[in-house]
Amino acid sequence: MVLDQLASGLVYSSIIVLGSIGLSLVYSIANFANFAHGDTMTIGAYTSLVTFGAIGGLGGTVLGLPFGFFVALVAGIAMAALVAVVTEKVVYDGMDLDSIGLLIASIGLAFIYRSVVQLGFGAQSTRYGIQSLRPIEALVPYGIRVTQHDVAIVVSAAALVTGLHVLLQYSDLGRKMRAMADNPDLARVSGIRTDRIKLWTWVIGAGLAGAGGAFLGLYSQLTPRMGFNLLLLIFAAVILGGIGSVYGAMLGGFLIGMINQLTPLLSDIGIPIGIEYANAIAFVIMVVVLLFRPSGIAGEAS
Amino acid sequence: MSEQTTDTETAATMSKDDVVLSVDGLVKTFGALVATDHATFEVERGTITGLIGPNGAGKSTLFNLISGFYETDEGSVSVNGTDVTGQEPYEIADHGLIRTFQTPRKLEGMTVREAMLVGPRNQPGESFLKLFTAPGEVGEAESKNMADVDRILEEFEIDHLATQPATKISGGQMKLVELARAMLSEPEILLLDEPAAGVNPTLRNKLAEQIRRLNEQGTTMLLIEHDMEFVMELADPVIVLDQGSVLMEGRPDEVQSDDRVIDAYLG
Amino acid sequence: MSLVEDPKGYWTDLTVAEKGVTAGVVLFAGALLVSLLTGGLTPTYFLYLVGIAGMYALLSLGLNSQWGFSGLINFSVAAFFGIGAYGTALASASGSPIAGGLPPVVGLLAALALAAILALFIGIPTLRLRADYLAIASIGLAEVVRLIVLNQDDWTNGSAGVRGIPSFFDGWPVLGTFPETMPTLVFGSGPGATVLSTSFWQALSNVALVLAFVGVSYLVLRRAHRSPWGRVLRTIRSDEDLARALGKNTYSFKMQSFVLGSLIMALAGVFYAHLNLYVSPGDLDPITTFYVWVAVILGGSGSNRGALFGGVVIVAIQEGTRALPLDAAPIRLLAIGVIIVLLMRFRPQGVLPPQRELIWPGTVDETPQQPDSGVRETKAGEK
Repeated sequence: MVLDQLASGLVYSSIIVLGSIGLSLVYSIANFANFAHGDTMTIGAYTSLVTFGAIGGLGGTVLGLPFGFFVALVAGIAMAALVAVVTEKVVYDGMDLDSIGLLIASIGLAFIYRSVVQLGFGAQSTRYGIQSLRPIEALVPYGIRVTQHDVAIVVSAAALVTGLHVLLQYSDLGRKMRAMADNPDLARVSGIRTDRIKLWTWVIGAGLAGAGGAFLGLYSQLTPRMGFNLLLLIFAAVILGGIGSVYGAMLGGFLIGMINQLTPLLSDIGIPIGIEYANAIAFVIMVVVLLFRPSGIAGEAS
Repeated sequence: MSEQTTDTETAATMSKDDVVLSVDGLVKTFGALVATDHATFEVERGTITGLIGPNGAGKSTLFNLISGFYETDEGSVSVNGTDVTGQEPYEIADHGLIRTFQTPRKLEGMTVREAMLVGPRNQPGESFLKLFTAPGEVGEAESKNMADVDRILEEFEIDHLATQPATKISGGQMKLVELARAMLSEPEILLLDEPAAGVNPTLRNKLAEQIRRLNEQGTTMLLIEHDMEFVMELADPVIVLDQGSVLMEGRPDEVQSDDRVIDAYLG
Repeated sequence: MSLVEDPKGYWTDLTVAEKGVTAGVVLFAGALLVSLLTGGLTPTYFLYLVGIAGMYALLSLGLNSQWGFSGLINFSVAAFFGIGAYGTALASASGSPIAGGLPPVVGLLAALALAAILALFIGIPTLRLRADYLAIASIGLAEVVRLIVLNQDDWTNGSAGVRGIPSFFDGWPVLGTFPETMPTLVFGSGPGATVLSTSFWQALSNVALVLAFVGVSYLVLRRAHRSPWGRVLRTIRSDEDLARALGKNTYSFKMQSFVLGSLIMALAGVFYAHLNLYVSPGDLDPITTFYVWVAVILGGSGSNRGALFGGVVIVAIQEGTRALPLDAAPIRLLAIGVIIVLLMRFRPQGVLPPQRELIWPGTVDETPQQPDSGVRETKAGEK
């Protein structure tokens, strides 16, 4: 039982981590809480849906997923990034607002993204045309019921996160991004072209969100509200990890996903809080962290 | 030298009642940086005490510690003999310690007169209940405060600004308004944070004149200022802060000729 | 300057935006009148719309007193609306799982008490936070409240909601039986006739109720905001450190403002419960929060008449989209989103930013210049 929940926690965490990295990057580099981030995930999911519908399976499969799905995943990532860049250029760039003004504007954008998806696909839920799998036989005796799709989600998320790590640590762009997240003013005076870095931040952050959305659709199903519904959990992850810290966001995302899926254990040990409060627990953790350690668990104490 | 000894004796014979502000062994660290290092000094009633020091000497930190905006790590602050260490800024203000800010933000949607009216402490109209249970008392206090505002604006020779939007006046005028507003709070001691910074020469002289006038009328002040001339012209005694602690204290001319002070500024 | 004494002077005194809004309101009222007379809109439905507009106006007034006057970013409007609706429903409804059957006035008091407790519960931890953290924390806590209402079946009936809520004037002398005792009036004849029956008189009493709520709230807020109390709040919004240095207990002021605004939002919930006669957890959907935010920003942060105007526009959007041959929900969402983005891009201070109304009478001798207030210049995000 515990093993099963740990396993599903790992899958859910992978999705949240993909969302929280982008939210944290944008929070520190563009300097506002982006309420449209969840709906960016939705865009990724629906783009994958359309792409997969158009190209089909393309022959073979990996971990129970047709090749075509991976092409659709890339399309989802690309579309999410494209929408974010266009939004930055068309909307945010021309605004002369403080972080609160941008936050409010991002709520408007969240509604625009979601309403466009809903106009195109309706409010009802849908699925990729991929056969659901039975749990992997070899693990069932241990009480773990995960499918090959779940494994694919975790492995793909791990690959993306590793790629980001390499980018941040070893590329010129990554070093500049870290410098800018750390201290935007200092980065500017030291000659970094901050506008370009900001654009790349949107590309990377939204791209990862797009991937997260595509996987969320695979993990459960697609609805126009899927991203918005996950947004607060992602905020909780980012705040728990420490705003502005990419690695904090990964850790926070991992913990929030785990806590969320491990909630049934509370009843097992006699605490009468059911799974219906799994999200509420995350939100309370978020408020407690904001109160007592606003720099997050991975950040330096202020 | 003998004159200084006499001064010290006179100070010692004065009773403790004449110390308005007493700062004892204040320590504040930010991570590895020791911003304030056992700073100890007193401000006597009726003086304009200057607080100078090179950049990074910890002047602003000290102001924030005294007025309660930062929490102290060690040491204590007393106002009029009452220990106010660890109190909130508004509680410290209630003991009569009022401070100004280096760069005051402008109050939106208010006229200068209205921005001034925020000054008086403990107005009956600041209690939500009294607005509805004691409108008469609220109205009376408001009329009195309004009259006080107009009187002080006149004394400061800025009564022509009264109906201007507070966002539309210049930075220098704002500094005068801030000083005038602080007087409405009836301070026992006024902490002025760089009042002359960013002020044009004409207004600067006007400010100096007002500060001197208020002091002559009995207001005790502690003044941080970068503009040496401004400090030396107004303050006596002058306290020199270096690396978070008090380097020396003395008359302006003593301070200016002291080797340690010169070293601190050059080093 | 009075409209009656000098209508021409009054008009030339208005800003372009004020003229535009006035013209728009007149046109809108004219259109409504025409559709009333031609039978496109039944009088009962018209009164229902007035009631809903009043409800949004209440919510906007409440949020405006928090955000517009004190700079508090409260994203838990839906929670206060919901707690108001549930508070009175649980006390007065026949279908209430805990009490039920109590007079609606008791329900009103219960709702206000619950809202005050919730305001303290949300405000105590969050009002010390940085502005953007307050936004995130308050929406998180609002979700916690929604989840409790949804899942604690033993207190709230859970997803089934609470039925059997009486109308507010139930059991009152005269007003209680007013809709039934009024005669059914028929104007005109045939299928185009206008019939004013019990439901019309019921709707009329609902409008009276919401007007009373709006009127009382408006007067209380006007008194509060033009007082030294409101002056301190506006100082806090511009420069909290200054207020602290001048001896104001800013945390306490912010808490008072937060509770006051929350109580007004709860009033809107109380009205809604007795209008709709049924409440469900869906009424706590966070979308309500954002509707109200749009109303306040659209009207002009810090402006009470702007908040009233914003409330009416929201109802116009909601009802206007209903007439479209498409699925209304996404169109409505799109409209709200586009309005937010356009406003923040081109007019962050809103359509009717506060002008004379905020200035304390007596602090001006003449008409002041237009203050350039609004979101653009708030100090949020700094600390």
